[in-house]
Amino acid sequence: MKVIVIEDDADAAAFVKRVLGEAGHSVDVCGDGESGYNQARSGEYDALVVDRMLPGMDGLQLVKKYRDAGGRAPALFLSALGEVDHRVEGLQAGGDDYLAKPYAPSELVARVEALGRRATGDIPTTRLVVGGLEMDLLARTVHRDGQKIDLQPREFRLLEFLMRHAGQVVTRTMLLEKVWDYHFDPQTNVIDVHVSRLRGKIDKDFDRPLLHTVRGAGYRLEA
Amino acid sequence: MKIGRLPALFRTTTFRLALLHASIFILFSASLLAYLYYETAGHLGRQAEAELNAEFQELSAAYRGGFDRLNQAVTERSGARGKFFYLLQDGTGQKIAGDFDFLPAPAPVDQVVDVKFEYDVRNLSGQTTRRQAEGRISRLSEGGVLMVAYDMGQLGEMNRRITDVVWRSAVVGFVLSLIGGVVISRSAAQRAEQLARTTEEVMAGDLTRRAPVFESGDEFDRLSVQLNAMLGKLERLVISSRSAGDSIAHDLRSPLTRLRNHLEAGLRDTNSEGPRTALARSIEDVDDVLNTFNAVLRLSRVQAGATGSFRRTNVTGITDELAELYQPACEEKSMTFTYAPEGDLFVQADRDLIAQALSNLLDNAVKYTPAGGAVSLAVKRLGASEVELSVSDTGPGIPPEDRDRAVERFVRLEQSRSEPGSGLGLSLVDAVAEAHRGRLLLDSAGGTPPNIGLAARLILPSA
Repeated sequence: MKVIVIEDDADAAAFVKRVLGEAGHSVDVCGDGESGYNQARSGEYDALVVDRMLPGMDGLQLVKKYRDAGGRAPALFLSALGEVDHRVEGLQAGGDDYLAKPYAPSELVARVEALGRRATGDIPTTRLVVGGLEMDLLARTVHRDGQKIDLQPREFRLLEFLMRHAGQVVTRTMLLEKVWDYHFDPQTNVIDVHVSRLRGKIDKDFDRPLLHTVRGAGYRLEA
Repeated sequence: MKIGRLPALFRTTTFRLALLHASIFILFSASLLAYLYYETAGHLGRQAEAELNAEFQELSAAYRGGFDRLNQAVTERSGARGKFFYLLQDGTGQKIAGDFDFLPAPAPVDQVVDVKFEYDVRNLSGQTTRRQAEGRISRLSEGGVLMVAYDMGQLGEMNRRITDVVWRSAVVGFVLSLIGGVVISRSAAQRAEQLARTTEEVMAGDLTRRAPVFESGDEFDRLSVQLNAMLGKLERLVISSRSAGDSIAHDLRSPLTRLRNHLEAGLRDTNSEGPRTALARSIEDVDDVLNTFNAVLRLSRVQAGATGSFRRTNVTGITDELAELYQPACEEKSMTFTYAPEGDLFVQADRDLIAQALSNLLDNAVKYTPAGGAVSLAVKRLGASEVELSVSDTGPGIPPEDRDRAVERFVRLEQSRSEPGSGLGLSLVDAVAEAHRGRLLLDSAGGTPPNIGLAARLILPSA
């Protein structure tokens, strides 16, 4: 993916560039709002990573202006303001995701990659396939190697999210946000338990596991 | 010349209340006295008037029989020594009959006049006394004049006295009511003064001062109770922010010290994998610090009411989701999880805050309940206007004497020191309750010691 990082703190920008670069993405860095906007408009980027507080034009204005001008690349806000209200403001301004500082590098990579997938996956799908695992979104059924798997509604949504982001790391926070729609960090490993139950259903009776735990980061569904 | 400001006395509420009180009192007593006058003196006067009318009518009847009949009637009546006295004159002003000697007012030309007059009476010992009389003089059609009058005597005296009494009582009443007004409003002003003094003392730094409450349940008591509640909260906040400073120092010092140690160890470690392990550990330490910071920030924002979008929310929807979220985690620890919803219940709430609060309570329950125990989540209507969200467990609970302290910032009770956590979990739940104008109650879940269990009840006003 080709990503532009608009962040005025040089250290933070270098960190983002390095983390995304190590994950195999090409990264351009820009230090202020005005030129960041121009660069984002002119370049062909797959995703924007925008700090909320920028000199010149703040992140919210930047993304709003970018959207108004017809810019379509998904945008992720980075901000030290992590409250839900701020998150909502960011999403209303046209952002696609919001990540509060400090964040784990794996979280950043996971979210940026999830954005890229969303941008390319605009065509409505009715069927998701990962390896031998098939999900029919209309009939709400799941099969693996032709064998039907019964899932609870929440397990279905969890698996759907994992399948839509197959091959990418998804973090626990992302799962709580996207599958449960809650924005806080539970102390208990509630998400892990849900994932391990799902794993019990889709992987247990099969030789090759599809749902992998990525240590220190989250999970990845991969054939 | 400019009119100066009114003297301080006249600007006080006391004075204005006293004046109002006096005015109202006077209005009442004036009506009362007027009524009294009407029913006594007025009544006597009206009675005399009616008798005079009757007398006149009888004499008119006699006059219809001719002047001689009138003359005769007047003579008879004069001789009877009744209440009235009479004077009948002919057209020339010559007295014809009657027991009175002069006309106290000029005779009217051709009508009837009512007169009030004074006359002298000589008694047996030769003294004269001046007496008051009232009467009516009528011109007769043939040219004569008839007067009938009666001595005011007792009636006049009584009238005068009653009038006197009425006036005096009006004056005395005004003075008394002014005094009463001053006394009453002074006591009100004193209460206000006490409240003002309390706040002054608090502002001067004595946070323990409280306004006196007299258990009378009046407005001032209510105000005092409210003020005291506010001061109590203020005091707690001040104390908690003071102790928060210490606690932050304490809670951050240990992970920061550990961080330093790990980095130091990594620096000295000659083993090739040493620095990597040290760095990995250091990241964990830093995450601890950051988590604490985030928790503090979040708590402050909730306490300041600076976060959340409150709308009418079905809390059962939230508990449904949290039950579903936490049930597997409980079962994983071989605990029984029960969830008892009671239909849709609506609260003016922020969904994320309520979920966060319940999640904190459930986290605690899962954390402290031993394997094989039970955790339950319930939501029910409480009375007509409240909704109760509760989480109970079969863990060790919180001793009664520690329950108030447990919700304070950074307070970590002895038994939980060894567990990970910032000591802000219950504080946040308490802050969320307050942000929703509700309250958090901690109680034992009724188990047997040592595992009495904890029942945490979040009570919110329903919408």
